[in-house]
Amino acid sequence: MTTDRPSSLLSCRSVSKYYGAMAAVKTISFDVRVGEIVGIGGPNGAGKTSLFDVIAGLQPADEGAIFFNGEDVTSASPQELCHRGLARVFQSVVAFDSMTLRENVVIGAAYGHRLRFVPPLMLDRDTLERADRALDTVGLLDRANVPIASLPVLDRKLAMFASALATEPLMLLLDEPVGGLNPAEADRVMAVVRSLAEGGLTILLIEHVMRFMVQLCRRIIIMQHGEKIYEGSSEGMVRDPTVVSVYLGSATARRLFHFLAAS
Amino acid sequence: MRKDVAIGLPLLVLAIVVPFAWPTRYVVEEMTLFFIWAAVVTQWNLVFGVAGVFSLAQMAIFAIGGYVTGMLGLYLGWSLWLAMFAGGLAAVVFSALVGVACLRLRGAYVALLTLAITQTMYLLIITDTECFYMEGVTCRNFTGGTRGLTGYGDFGFHQLLPHKYAAFGDYFLALAVLCTATAFSVFIIRSPVGLAFKALRDNTVYAISRGIGRFKYQLLVFAASALFTGLAGAVYAGHFRVMGANTLYLSQTLFLLSMMIIGGVGQIWGPLLGAAALMLVDEALKEVVEWRLLGLGLMLVVFVVVWPKGLAGGVEAIARRWRRDSVRAFAAVRPEEVASAKE
Repeated sequence: MTTDRPSSLLSCRSVSKYYGAMAAVKTISFDVRVGEIVGIGGPNGAGKTSLFDVIAGLQPADEGAIFFNGEDVTSASPQELCHRGLARVFQSVVAFDSMTLRENVVIGAAYGHRLRFVPPLMLDRDTLERADRALDTVGLLDRANVPIASLPVLDRKLAMFASALATEPLMLLLDEPVGGLNPAEADRVMAVVRSLAEGGLTILLIEHVMRFMVQLCRRIIIMQHGEKIYEGSSEGMVRDPTVVSVYLGSATARRLFHFLAAS
Repeated sequence: MRKDVAIGLPLLVLAIVVPFAWPTRYVVEEMTLFFIWAAVVTQWNLVFGVAGVFSLAQMAIFAIGGYVTGMLGLYLGWSLWLAMFAGGLAAVVFSALVGVACLRLRGAYVALLTLAITQTMYLLIITDTECFYMEGVTCRNFTGGTRGLTGYGDFGFHQLLPHKYAAFGDYFLALAVLCTATAFSVFIIRSPVGLAFKALRDNTVYAISRGIGRFKYQLLVFAASALFTGLAGAVYAGHFRVMGANTLYLSQTLFLLSMMIIGGVGQIWGPLLGAAALMLVDEALKEVVEWRLLGLGLMLVVFVVVWPKGLAGGVEAIARRWRRDSVRAFAAVRPEEVASAKE
């Protein structure tokens, strides 16, 4: 094993996932380098979330191999991947509803940071500080002791971010981070993601809100019917005829083109 | 934690005072039985309420504790004091195996499998007719069969204590088991391990994505909830000097399940409250025996529909409302105070 970190943090090699005869993910290959932010787009049912499920260990890959931080994690379990530094934020807003906000984040800090052979009977200061730092990053520290079930959707979404950050990940998987939010709420999440990116965290994200994606991601992958149909810059994407015809549509492509030109 | 001590300590004092204040055989006997059932329910609550695994194997675990204790006493001549801990450990091993068997199942399927385990154990015991040893001219079965396992003696309080207080021995032994069982369950629920159990219950996929291994923690909760259940079984066996398959009746499992539901599933003090309430109701209905099952059934229906969080949840809701009202009253007073201070 090399001592220095490999430049490619996540590497998918010809990964496929079948549900019966349907190929949800079909021979997908791509790399995410350390510190990079890569976006995945594509129409509904393109296999984006299925790909995330395979990467995060929730569904085993039927073909291909996945490497994370230089090691083969193709058949690793979700908890193992979490301990290795891959944390996921889900598409739907999920929470541990019987707990307070802080307890939700403490779960990530106590169990996701590293594997504990002996289950913890007391919380050490390090764990609590990690949880509070994560809450502070998403701006929820002042509400830490509130029951999470009583919080609005935006806060619950940010709580998912916080519990992921409390594991001190090397890389975040964000599944539609601004999906289902109004523009003002989306801006808040965007600000959080941007500050994480500026802090050097590697991020792979799925998003339908293209304005958000092109602003944030240097490199964009577009999927359709489980296959990768485009990989490259956002400028290239809006000019790509296949992407424009199957996903963006010419009007959106034009709008994005002007948006990119303006910024 | 401080709140738990504030609730638990007065209850403990009360339990210590009761046999001296009402030293009748009836009260002491009923309270001893209450301690035993309450201890089982507090531990069952860890699996059923806190971890959300719908296991109905708790009485099988209880029976393992009782039978192993009795058998070690009868066949190997062990003192029940020693056999009791072996019974507790046997219960832990048995429960962990049940946990492994349930690992791939969810919800109602766990209930079905664990109920089948309990029923199988019951059937194995009552169909045990083979002679294991002869006692004079009577043939004895290995498990005691339908007649129950006897002849292993008791905890020896009748030799240790004056006749008048002999029943106090089992009373305080059962109380000690209940106290440690309750302290243990409070500690588990409040600790980070309890948080992991609850996380798996609330959202399994989210929990494993945050590093909580389902296999490990399901095994752990089954094992953890078994020690004091097994010890309670041992105390039961020693107290009655007979261990029978009647502990495995479905009605017994349902009686304890009702204690948990009426007290408040998953709540720290719910099981204890429910056990007390149901023992009292059961006592009241003993006079009208034909109404007993109907009464318990009706109570269960009312609670599931009207008060799903049980007595403990109800008490908490009232306390919260009272606190909020007092805060509001305080807030209403304040502007005037400010005004009067200005004058």
